[in-house]
Amino acid sequence: MLPFEHTWLPFIYLYSLGGFLFLIGIWIIFRAKSIDLRRSHHRRWLFILIFGYVWYFSIHALLNLAALDVIRPVVVLYGLAVEFILFFVGMRIFRTKRMREA
Amino acid sequence: MEAQSTIQTFHSIGTSTDWIVMVVYFIAVMLFGSYFGRYTRSTTDFFFGGRRFSWWLITMSIVATGVGSHSFVKYSAKGFEHGISSTMTYMNDWFFLPFFIFGWLPIVVYSRIRSIPEYFEKRFSPSARFLATILLLLYMIGYIGIGFLTLGKAIIPMLPESFMLFGATIPITLMGAIIVIAIITGIYITFGGQTAVIFTDLLQGFILLFAGLMLFALGLAFLGGFDTFWNLLPIAWKLPLADFNKPPDFNFVGIFWQDAIAGSIGFLFMNQGLLMRFMACKSVDEGRKAAAINILFVLPISAIVVGNAGWLGKAISVVSPNLIPPNTSPDQIFVVVANIVSHPGIFGFVMAALTAALMSTVDTLINATAAIFINDVYRPVHRLIDKGKKISGSRDKRELLVARYASVGVTALGVLAVLAFKNFPTVYEAHGFFHSTLTPPLVVAIFLGIFWKKFTPAAVITTFVAGVGLMLLGARYPGIFIAPFDHGITMNPTHPYSYIRALYNMLVCSGVGVVVGLTTSWQKRLVAYLLQKGKTPMKTLIPISVILFLIPLFNVGSSTLQFIDLMLLVVVLPLVVTHYVSYDEEKQTKGLIVDSIQEARIRFKGGLPNDREGDKALVNWKLHEGSDMNVRFAREDMETMAAETGDLVYLSDKRKWLGGLKSIHSRIGEPHDEPGIVYITEEEMKNGLFVKNRILEAEKEM
Repeated sequence: MLPFEHTWLPFIYLYSLGGFLFLIGIWIIFRAKSIDLRRSHHRRWLFILIFGYVWYFSIHALLNLAALDVIRPVVVLYGLAVEFILFFVGMRIFRTKRMREA
Repeated sequence: MEAQSTIQTFHSIGTSTDWIVMVVYFIAVMLFGSYFGRYTRSTTDFFFGGRRFSWWLITMSIVATGVGSHSFVKYSAKGFEHGISSTMTYMNDWFFLPFFIFGWLPIVVYSRIRSIPEYFEKRFSPSARFLATILLLLYMIGYIGIGFLTLGKAIIPMLPESFMLFGATIPITLMGAIIVIAIITGIYITFGGQTAVIFTDLLQGFILLFAGLMLFALGLAFLGGFDTFWNLLPIAWKLPLADFNKPPDFNFVGIFWQDAIAGSIGFLFMNQGLLMRFMACKSVDEGRKAAAINILFVLPISAIVVGNAGWLGKAISVVSPNLIPPNTSPDQIFVVVANIVSHPGIFGFVMAALTAALMSTVDTLINATAAIFINDVYRPVHRLIDKGKKISGSRDKRELLVARYASVGVTALGVLAVLAFKNFPTVYEAHGFFHSTLTPPLVVAIFLGIFWKKFTPAAVITTFVAGVGLMLLGARYPGIFIAPFDHGITMNPTHPYSYIRALYNMLVCSGVGVVVGLTTSWQKRLVAYLLQKGKTPMKTLIPISVILFLIPLFNVGSSTLQFIDLMLLVVVLPLVVTHYVSYDEEKQTKGLIVDSIQEARIRFKGGLPNDREGDKALVNWKLHEGSDMNVRFAREDMETMAAETGDLVYLSDKRKWLGGLKSIHSRIGEPHDEPGIVYITEEEMKNGLFVKNRILEAEKEM
């Protein structure tokens, strides 16, 4: 049995401190009006940014669970495949809106 | 095979077939690079590829650069020693992406800077540029050194211990191998330039992903399938993140600060080679796509590609310790595993892909360092020398020649830099130490410069000088200065705090920068007060600052004395800079910080950007007579693009697979009434490499 310092502490540290920095980044670009949600492709960029955080969070969470024998390794692939599909669905949704605007 | 203390090293791995495959591969790659080198017409093309390429081409070419730099050798080594957590450094870059794609990238493109030091001059002062150039050149040359060291370590197991020449036995040493590699590497970069590098990397990006995944498949087949492989790995080897704070040579928290923070910002914000790739994209949005797709999908695949040999090596060593002894040299594990699981010829191909990827990294860095030399050393010096003189001949041709010589010089310095890193136990630690030590001052300066308006020249110069002083102090007395931030990591006396020192270094540099930035009004008041006493007090502060910096530099006195000395420097140096460096906050932050990106866009275009969303238009091109340098579209096509006269437009060959190789940027002139026709100048036709009767795709930029 591996200690908490080897299993979940690094994960929590990575996504809490990393997540905090990520949120600061999002806040700064909003405050600076560098990202403008009135522009459709910027809305899509915001979706991509948030998706990226969730994507990496799930990769590490699923791999951790597989390493600890909570889930089978193949479940990691299924989970990521579902997210991958959701990514393209999301991209499609934002693209559709852009077409309508144009 | 020989045993050196407890580490087992290998020689003469591979067959003559493997060597033939490798030589053929390298000749093919060099010919491929040279072919695209003919598209280099100016220094802009040589260094930036002419700002024309599509996101997918840049994404794939970044693979070769990124994967090469975070090489097969070092990640396989850590994969062998610690398992899947070797992927950590590939999967922690996302946190800074908002800062990069909506902060630094648009600033770099719209401000038309060609190098990072140039940004420092525009944003702060020429003196800040000077210091940034020194630090950046050290960083780049060090990076090239790490690349050469990795290349040498990869190739040595394939070479015999010695060879005979005219009856004399000549030993093959690591440095000897590196020198030969450096000569080969220098050849096509010197004659090719950025376009050659981008296209060579594109090819190699595909090949090395294929080779790495093929190796994984072969390894799994060798072991009897994925389940066998997975079950052979101990639990600790299956975890994706390392133990929080042990062992000292590979722990999560140290690597988080060294790589996820200092490394990620360093790689995205100050790696001139990578930045030049993004600058070679046809637009800011295309650069964003290249960065996002690379980090989202390509890096996780690359993490498997570069680390799997180590994981396979561990599994094989569990089931067959005779085949791979557990004490095999970690830096050789990639070559050893590749040789075991693949057949002759295939092994040569895998090794060719590995060395070619590493060469891609090195050649990108050489090209980028030469760009910094031309932009930040050669041009400023020549501007001084040529002042008032009439210059004969083409300046661009002269600079292109100097750029090629600079590439040769940088290659030689890169070889020398290997000496600083070759005594680390593994390349991974050498690279970790390098990143923790050299990136923080520049990373902090760039980051605060972009995101904080109050960051002044006094703050940036003090960050560079006093920050480096405090870093030196930390390196000299790690038990006193770095230990409070060590998160429980045990200090290794030989290589103390290789990774977590990044946290200390970032803190001292940002601490200095923030304190000096926040006290700007006090500095101005103090300078005004001192000036009332005459010029002497201010003049006296210059030698005092120099002495205060030299004391820790030459290690004079105790750690306490040096610390107090540096605190005094943090007070004195900003006064000197505030007085002697002219700085207009409003003027020098416009378009150069994240708050004024709109201003940067206006400056870039030379007018208000047109953000109406339109479609692309397909057009045939015709040459137009006269002196009008703008391209002219039909009214109908301009409506399709939602474009107006004066807007910026990107014209490219319709064939997507060219990735923008045949394209130009221009400005839209007065419309005409021939739908489907665009009038361009002869110069534009030549720059765009447009072919007669080939349809072009037109896209409004802004």
